[in-house]
Amino acid sequence: MGREVSESCIDSLLTEMVSSYCNRFYANKPELAARRIEAIGYQVGHQLSERYTMERPRFSDHLEAIKFICKDFWSELFKKQIDNLKTNHRGTFVLQDNRFRWLARMSAESKAAQAMSMYLYFPCGIIRGALSNLGIPCAVSADISNLPACEYPESYVLCVVMHACSLCSNGHCHGQL
Amino acid sequence: MATTASFIIVSRNDIPIYEAEVGSATKREDAAQLHQFVLHAALDIVQDLAWTTSAMFLKNIDRFNDLVVSVYVTAGHTRLMLLHDSRNDDGIKSFFQEVHELYIKVNFLQLGCSVHVLVFHLSIVEKN
Repeated sequence: MGREVSESCIDSLLTEMVSSYCNRFYANKPELAARRIEAIGYQVGHQLSERYTMERPRFSDHLEAIKFICKDFWSELFKKQIDNLKTNHRGTFVLQDNRFRWLARMSAESKAAQAMSMYLYFPCGIIRGALSNLGIPCAVSADISNLPACEYPESYVLCVVMHACSLCSNGHCHGQL
Repeated sequence: MATTASFIIVSRNDIPIYEAEVGSATKREDAAQLHQFVLHAALDIVQDLAWTTSAMFLKNIDRFNDLVVSVYVTAGHTRLMLLHDSRNDDGIKSFFQEVHELYIKVNFLQLGCSVHVLVFHLSIVEKN
């Protein structure tokens, strides 16, 4: 819809959000902090999906909605599309992003892996919110791996796994992390 | 020209989010209830029709006496439904699009907050 935000502001906001929830609001309770951050992401994703689907025709099936997430939604949020999409045709989709933008400026120390995972809850929540607004209740989890031999040596590969819940068709699905 | 029109926004879980009488004609006392009833009765038709097309603006999907129901469905299956007696398709389509934009902006304030902005806008609906 035309208006943009500076990227460093987004980076700062995300860093501060994780830091506040992990160190101040829910200190010593990382599961609660994670749930809260994921819930914030859910609400954001819900509203963003309404905004980004406004100019285009509606979706005729679930695959169209997922392709929208991989292409248009991802490029609105992260300025690029998903690099790889895999499915087992039974409701599980794996989205792979070879250069996840929101982690691009984080260091690659191995002992920070647990701290790194806290930064993934917000994007997972966004994806879950967007999909549930488009009619696909699902559980979203993310994983990162650092591939030193690949052509982007300092980047993170983000693999997002989505399980579409056929049992939760009333829309009340608990996002699993 | 006096027109009767009634407008509701229904979420994907069939919960009415917003209701307004927007026509310029004088109302009978039970007219509001009748309009609400007709609009809710049209929800089933919208449900079936929404899956047959990928367009957002579904034109006249139902009629009751001389009142016609038009519906605009968003990608998140939020339905904007208008009950009216005029025939101005283009005006109604642009009305729906403006409401859609306002809905998105209001949505960002708080999910479920009162929509004073929409009430202000709907006073402009006499262009129908």
